[in-house]
Amino acid sequence: MRGPGRSRASMLALYGGLTALSLLWLVPVASAFMISVLPQEQSRDGWWSFDLSDLTFGNYERAWNEGLSDYVLNSFVITTLAVLLTVATGVLAAYAFARLRFRLKRSTYFLLITTMIVPVQIILIPMLPWFKTLGFEEGGLQYVGIVLVHTAFGAGWAIFMLSSFISEIPDEIIDAARVDGAGDWGIFRRVVLPLTVPGIVSFAIIDFVFVWNDLLLALTLLGRDYQPITVGLANLQSPNLAQQDIVAAGSIIAILPPLLLFALLNRLYVRGLFAGGLKG
Amino acid sequence: MTSAEDAVAPEPAARGRQRLRRPGRSRAAYAFVLPLLAIFAAFYAWPALNTVLSSGFEWGLINPWRLTEPGSWEFVGLGNYSETLGSESFWNAVVNTTIWLVFFPLLVTGVSLIVSILIWFAGRGLAPLLFRTAFILPMTISLAAVGVIWGFIYNPDPDFGLLNAVVGALDLDFEIDWGPLHLQTGQWLSDLGSLDLGFTELRLTNLSLIAPAVWAFIGFGVITFTAGLTSVDQDLIDAARVDGARLRHVIRYVLIPQLRGSLVIVAVVSVIFALRTFDIVYVLTDGGPGSDTEVLALLLFKQAFVFLDEPDAGLATTVAVLLSLVLVAGAYPYLRRLLEGTPR
Repeated sequence: MRGPGRSRASMLALYGGLTALSLLWLVPVASAFMISVLPQEQSRDGWWSFDLSDLTFGNYERAWNEGLSDYVLNSFVITTLAVLLTVATGVLAAYAFARLRFRLKRSTYFLLITTMIVPVQIILIPMLPWFKTLGFEEGGLQYVGIVLVHTAFGAGWAIFMLSSFISEIPDEIIDAARVDGAGDWGIFRRVVLPLTVPGIVSFAIIDFVFVWNDLLLALTLLGRDYQPITVGLANLQSPNLAQQDIVAAGSIIAILPPLLLFALLNRLYVRGLFAGGLKG
Repeated sequence: MTSAEDAVAPEPAARGRQRLRRPGRSRAAYAFVLPLLAIFAAFYAWPALNTVLSSGFEWGLINPWRLTEPGSWEFVGLGNYSETLGSESFWNAVVNTTIWLVFFPLLVTGVSLIVSILIWFAGRGLAPLLFRTAFILPMTISLAAVGVIWGFIYNPDPDFGLLNAVVGALDLDFEIDWGPLHLQTGQWLSDLGSLDLGFTELRLTNLSLIAPAVWAFIGFGVITFTAGLTSVDQDLIDAARVDGARLRHVIRYVLIPQLRGSLVIVAVVSVIFALRTFDIVYVLTDGGPGSDTEVLALLLFKQAFVFLDEPDAGLATTVAVLLSLVLVAGAYPYLRRLLEGTPR
């Protein structure tokens, strides 16, 4: 036991206080959940005084059938493609930044890192005309467009995190492979890539959460049929103020995928954020 | 994996050898960086350049300005900047963003520091892990969903909104007027009150939007401070305690100095967050009532994408440029730290 924990009473107070605070912290999510599993009449008459027999999944069914399924599908398409492309291009580039020498390395590194700080607004406004020029403004190509923008914006984080993981690989391992006659590509594929898997997973989770949760880019760049769940929620929120049951169910659905990922891979997620926050 | 395992256990001969010299510049390096750099150039550098250049023109998105035909709109030089800096809506957004800029980093840093130290005192084991998880969990929720969820809490109907139900049940509702300060409960998202500073009036409703953001962002601070605390030497604490140091002295003179690096990170990252804030405001109030809660990112969004018939996109680009400049300047210490890790 640490610090003040010498006396049993103070430890009890500490644990009691932390338990209360943790529960308080979960109240907003719990209340949205309760509203989502109660019939509207019940939740509008004080959802905290509910009857267990009233619990229903009907709201989820209605939310799902009233268009949320499309939003969720779009979210999955956009997020999966963006994470895959960012990881693939990111890990290649990170290897070069961590292990190889080339011209203009420092200045390109600097440029990429600024994406971690400069707000997305700096590219937002001319983006729509640029998409029109490239033919990305209609149909399924919209997915391609937003995935590329997410990749460009994930570039800084990708390079920063992945190259720090790659530089942790001991020089001896790389040198040994070089002695064995492996070229840059061989070293990357057979040595660096397998050893970087945990780092890649950490980064992929963070990037998944980031892309899944994006509202602004999707709101401005995508047409109605290609928007993800975040935009769906914002759309549901305003005109249907009376449909709190559906909105609540939608918010829980939107929360679930990143939350499950977090629950399953908690350690890697936290580790990735450690790397991002602390190595810097 | 076999090749990697082979590599992990190099031949004894190779292990004994002196470290090999780094190879010189490698042609292959360009092939490795090219895919990412190409995407970065096309979807970041190029549009960013367009933003900066088009801020010199008066234009609207109905017939957007293009670098290839810059003459299609009127060149106004720095006109957009002087118009922005002279406009009331810009300064209103600056005031609201400043409220975010003051309260958000302060609350995030303060609350997560206290929480992290408390959990650290609770030691190891399942319970502290669960406490930590409760605070980190909201970080994974999209800010759009955070807005929706807190919309339920703030709902003015005391039979539906939890906050008003609690305030009603405990008889906590109040309305106070202390000189320049006016504060009232009940209408959390439309009128929390105001503070008259003489030269400007602060709309306290902004605080109702900051609270959910703090709730969601605490996790970052908890993760960062927890990492900082793991390096604290337990013997140092024990020695101090044996010497009769009070708890608050231990925190003040032992823990806080150890956490200086983490404090800078949490403060700067939350400043970045506060300046960029958009989602929660968009979902909860859309800048209203009136423009009481309109922040810079929302103003820019409305100028460019909502009032399409007015050629205000040029003005929006100036807001984007100014916002970016302030962010880079504000985040400079963080950027420096990031660049210290620059690979050779």
